Formats: sequence, structure tokens, C-alpha cells
Amino acid sequence: MKYADETLMAYADGELDAATRAEIEAEIARDPGLARAVERHRALAARVRGAYAAELEEPMPARLASLADKPAAPVADLAARRAGRRIGAGRWQLPAWSALAASLMVGLFVATLVMRGPGAPYEDVDGVLVARGELDAALTNELASRPASAGVSIGVSFRDREGGYCRTFRLQQESPVAGLACRSGGDWQVRTLAESAGQDGEVRTASSMPLAVLQAVDATIDGEPLDATAEASARDAGWKSSD
Amino acid sequence: MSEKSPADEVRAAIGGLLPRLRRFARVITRHVADADDLVQVTVEKALTRADQWRHGSRIDSWMFGIMKHAWIDEVRSRGRRGRVHAPEEAGATVGDNSAAARDIALSVQAAMARLPEEQRLAVALVLVEGLSYKDAAQALDVPIGTLTSRLARGREALQALLGDEGGVH
Repeated sequence: MKYADETLMAYADGELDAATRAEIEAEIARDPGLARAVERHRALAARVRGAYAAELEEPMPARLASLADKPAAPVADLAARRAGRRIGAGRWQLPAWSALAASLMVGLFVATLVMRGPGAPYEDVDGVLVARGELDAALTNELASRPASAGVSIGVSFRDREGGYCRTFRLQQESPVAGLACRSGGDWQVRTLAESAGQDGEVRTASSMPLAVLQAVDATIDGEPLDATAEASARDAGWKSSD
Repeated sequence: MSEKSPADEVRAAIGGLLPRLRRFARVITRHVADADDLVQVTVEKALTRADQWRHGSRIDSWMFGIMKHAWIDEVRSRGRRGRVHAPEEAGATVGDNSAAARDIALSVQAAMARLPEEQRLAVALVLVEGLSYKDAAQALDVPIGTLTSRLARGREALQALLGDEGGVH
């Protein structure tokens, strides 16, 4: 072949100067093999681009969306951030209410987190914390792409390793909390709940997710979060796991 | 005269760039939660060094470069701590099996995940993010010839993994 494959690639990518481009075009007109090679580069490029197109549509977690709004904060490196997230790893992976209670005792405020009585957003059902009221309604009906209608905003939605649906949420109340809830038999079981403001002196915006919740997502998620389309169809199908 | 400072311009651009930053971070880390962390660190670094951004140059490639360096730092420190994540199996994602388009996307992403990091980043910047060879080379801090050969090798490997048509392998 007269041209190196790298040159054909650069041609397919529109990276050549006008003179070389014209030269190659003349050659392509004569040589179907060359035309096929260029076509192959273009097809692969389109396929790769297409494979990542949907990712732009996925809802942005609030903690990222709000990054540019906050005043310049001292940069914590990724290692420090992850190390922070690891604190309590394992504890947060246990789904049961008992584990949740144990976590709560470690520096969280049980009384303000878990409100009791009528109108409370959770109910203790046989030792499992289940979403009720506006939290249940928001988890069932709201899409993450929508701004929070009332006191609840939805973060990311995804499937767990058993194929069930889980969603993160944030509850705006006197002391804001955030958590992870997973669908189970028509209910949303609250697997993780954490204070949503001012932990460990870290600068937080009102909408960022606490480390404990991120950690819980990490431990639960299978693959990637749902994109906006998948989220909407999961909701429309009533959050039933497919298998 | 109210000329915007570089910091203002960077800050103003970040909101719109987030989805692409996250996408590139996922290609780099091959891990959803790590990717979000990497985006966060990248944005924080970009904001603190906004004065290093050259007016008139592309903010996106500048930030991709910051991200790549932040990741190198992270990998180094993980190595020191002896804690390295196995990459997620992109191809193992359950997702919506009925959507053929999604299956194809996953097999491309699974193939991407197998490329050596150098090639993966070159492919992502040029083919996914649409950067010119020059901008991509600058973001990765390599000469243009190096970028071109990484890109060519990455594409060759992808072609071999994916076959010529369809997403089945």
C-alpha cells in the first residue's frame, strides 16, 4: 500500500493538510482497497463515539453538579478522599436495619435522622427501615433529571447485583439526610442513611452526597448507573426487577 | 471594562463540561465511583489553578490533562498503599438486555477496557471526545507522533476485538 495506515487514519480523522488530503483522495478514487481502509477507520470511529454517546445524558450526581458553585476549597487528593470513604466500609454494606442502627450510633444523630410517628418518611418494618410518605412517593415517581419537587431529591439510580433497583436520595429537613434505598417487594428499603451536612469538617454544599452513601452505592452497584432513558423506563415499569 | 478573569471563565465552563469529564474519567478509571471521585478532584484542581489556563486555549483539553495527571498521582499512591482496584468488567453489566444498541455499546466499552491505558486514553480523547491530534497530544503531554501511534495501535486492537460489524464477539 502506498500510504501508511497511520496516514489513512489521519485522513479519516480529518487531520491532514489540504495538499496531502487531495493526493489521497485522488488515490482513493483509483484504489478501492484504499477506500475500504479509510471506510474501516471511519466506521470504527463512529462506533466508538456512538458507544459513549449515552453517557452524556446520565444524570449528574448533585455532589458533582454543584462543584463549580462552591468557593475554592483546599484540594484534598483522591487518595485522601478514598481513604475517608473507606472509613466504616463493611459496616455500610450490611443491608439490615440493625447494621444501620449500629452505624448511626457511630457519631450520627439517631433522633433527628429517624423521625417517628405519623408523617415520618420511614417506618421500621420487622427491623427493616422502609420508606414512607413523601420519600416513598419520590423514590417511586421522581426522575433524577428533574429538580426536586418538594423535600426529596433523587440522586443516582442503578441495579444491584441481584438485578433489583436502588436509588440514592436526599431528604431536605431540619437536619438534611441522604441515603440509599432499594426496591424490595413493592417497598423501598432504606439501606443506608447518613447526615448530609458538615461531616469531618469537609466543605460540603447543600446538595452533595455523604461519603457513607457513596460507599454504599459502591458496594451495591452492578455495572453502571441507569441513564435517563433507563431510569424512566424502570419507573414506568414500576421498578420491577426483570429476573 | 469588566474583563472576565481566567478563574471566572474556567468556573463558568465547568458546568457544561461535567458530563464529558465524567465520561473521560470512566474511560481512565474503568470504575464508576472512582470516576466520580476523579472528576471531583479534577474540578477542584482546575479551580485552584485556573490562572494556569492559557486564555484562548481549550478548557476541555486543559482539564482532561489535569485529570490524567490526577489519576497518575492516584495510581502511584494506591501502589504505595498496595491497594489497587480490579477494573470493573464493563461487559458484565446487566443493563437492559432487550436494547441491542446498549449491547453493542457495552461490547465496545468492554473492548476499550482491555486496551493498555496509553492507547485507551488516546482513543478516548480523539474518537470519543473529538479532540484534534494536537489538542489530545497536549492533554496527554506527549509529542503528536506518539499520540498518533498510540491511537493507531489502539484502533487496531479495537478492530481486532470487535470485528468488522455488529457487536458480537
